[in-house]
Amino acid sequence: MWWIPGALAFFIVFAFFIEWVDRRFVARLQDRYGPIYTGTGGVLQPWADFIKLLSKEDITPAASDKVLFRLAPLVLPIFPIVGLCLTPILGKPIIGFDGDLIVAFFLMSVYTIMIFIAGYGSGNSFGIVGGTRAALQMLGYEVPFALAMIGPAILAGTLSISEIAYSQSNIWYAIPLALGFAVFMVCSLAEVDVVPFDIPHAKQEIVAGWETEYSGRKLALIHLAENLEMVFISALATALFLGGGYGPFSPPIPPAVWFIIKTLIVAIVISNLRAIFARFKIITLVEWSWKYLLPLAIVQLLVLELFFELGVIPWP
Amino acid sequence: MSVIQVPVGPQHPALKEPERFILHVEGESVVKVDVKIGYAHRGIEKIFERKMYIPGVFVAERICGICSAAHAVAYSLVVEKVAEVEPPERAKAIRTIAFELNRIQSHLLWLGILAHELGFDTLFMLTWRDRELVLSLIERLFGNRVTYGAVVPGGVRRDISDAAAKETVKVCEKIIERAREYLDLCLSEKTIVMRTENIGILKPHQSIALCAVGPVARGSAVRFDVREDEPYDALELLDFQMVVEDGCDTLSRTLVRVKETEVSAQIVKELAKKLPAGPIKIRLPMKLPEGEAVSRVEAPRGELFYYAVSKGGDKPYRMKVRTPTLANIPALCEMLKGCHIADVPVILASIDPCFACMDRVEVVDSSGRRRDLEEMLRRRGV
Repeated sequence: MWWIPGALAFFIVFAFFIEWVDRRFVARLQDRYGPIYTGTGGVLQPWADFIKLLSKEDITPAASDKVLFRLAPLVLPIFPIVGLCLTPILGKPIIGFDGDLIVAFFLMSVYTIMIFIAGYGSGNSFGIVGGTRAALQMLGYEVPFALAMIGPAILAGTLSISEIAYSQSNIWYAIPLALGFAVFMVCSLAEVDVVPFDIPHAKQEIVAGWETEYSGRKLALIHLAENLEMVFISALATALFLGGGYGPFSPPIPPAVWFIIKTLIVAIVISNLRAIFARFKIITLVEWSWKYLLPLAIVQLLVLELFFELGVIPWP
Repeated sequence: MSVIQVPVGPQHPALKEPERFILHVEGESVVKVDVKIGYAHRGIEKIFERKMYIPGVFVAERICGICSAAHAVAYSLVVEKVAEVEPPERAKAIRTIAFELNRIQSHLLWLGILAHELGFDTLFMLTWRDRELVLSLIERLFGNRVTYGAVVPGGVRRDISDAAAKETVKVCEKIIERAREYLDLCLSEKTIVMRTENIGILKPHQSIALCAVGPVARGSAVRFDVREDEPYDALELLDFQMVVEDGCDTLSRTLVRVKETEVSAQIVKELAKKLPAGPIKIRLPMKLPEGEAVSRVEAPRGELFYYAVSKGGDKPYRMKVRTPTLANIPALCEMLKGCHIADVPVILASIDPCFACMDRVEVVDSSGRRRDLEEMLRRRGV
């Protein structure tokens, strides 16, 4: 257990690294440079931003609910960190038990609810609208998201994230569950609030949405939480669908390295997706998730059932 | 359901300039819009009266940073009409090049802003990158990027060399290629179409009744373009294709502007290939005869109108400027009716507003009663 503090530190370092990758990648897609000055190729820029924000003035608006306003940014990063502890990102999970997939899903929902509370507690009308939008958005994508995650659990015959990851030694679940993986990726865009679904902080409509009133240390923690959430969702996608720590060849390279490489690739895919779309309207998002995403997720489960019945895939 | 008032502006993230729109909202949809204009009133018309005719053009150019060449050309035309002089052919061609390059950069800028309002920042970055090509070319040709200072009454101040003309052709070819790419993108990218199609409807009869101008009118299937109705400068010599779309929504206004970018690039290319020889300027007399004149040009945002009165002497007695955004405000109010709140920024952007240019009048009512724009316009017969 000596490595747990190291692992927690690694999550945060990795979160900042992924922010840098995301910023650089999107900048290159947009024909810009992105951060290049701090550290080699600008890799320390997220750290610099974080430290600078920590030193900035921290304002608590008079109209805010003081307890919620102060609590929300402190609590927000906890959920993705706990979620990351459940994934076998370093070869094995820090805490792994049967049923932790449900806990992971619960953590994602609580994260969104915390966003709502953060917006509501700020007492700003843009903050409240942003928070409401986050909650409304969750109504849309949550059910298909859960259904998409059930697919790998059925295939592996377990509700433990690490067991699901370990059981993909023969085939990555993204292959039989291609449809479910697609639904998962679309919903994860909504979960991490990036461009087609960055509705809760659509800056052209509602300033910074639920983050509007946050500044200084609180904003730094919120940004950290958002980066960690990105890592968490990418790691979850890797564990559930992309074969976890298994790579094309294993002996010289430990599973943790494969896992981290795949997580990075998923994060890059999310960055790529966020660069090529315009923003959806909240109505369209909710409507589409119930009209298309949910039926697709159900179809995926039916297809899985059919595979079992036809004997294409043996019962777990 | 009760109607609540949602203020948009004077400070709002969707507005780059100060203007106040009070949206009467029922549930999620807008039922009525009140407008209050006049926040950026700069007293420009009064400044004209204290400037001599030639320096006045630089004031005109500064009315709008984005359609600066349109203002300079319109001002020069009106002064030339009062003075009853005609600039040389070469000057006319160079003016039209400045004018159309101005339109290209304005439309590219606008496309970027629309993309930004839609949350599509990649398109925003790419269009502004291509806009940089045009701005660099403008700097090469006229020495400045924003206010060119090239067009003056009586001609232009800077000649275009053969090498520069060749470069212009090259840049125009690139712009034509890019404009086609963007047109394809606007039509094929589902997220853009979804956010713009059937948003901000303005029917042709409403467009005519509310005197919409420019791409707003042409996006509503109204054939209205000063360049065709009343060609000025070198446009008389060219075969000009007006762009009209019949979708009557934000998407068709977008398509009009993207297609116009290509048309303008074609015009500049054609002109740069065969610039007429001759002088670039004639001397304007210091004192102009008594008289009055009107000039109309098609600025990137629509019909730009200048009216000048001379009582003899070296300064205008009165100079009236009507910018296209003012003409489009009543149409904007009509478009906003019935839309969703989430669409308000997109619809606002769709008229390509330039509020700071349009503010010529400010109503200060000592009784404290608020007057809306419609009433004000009716009173003044604008």
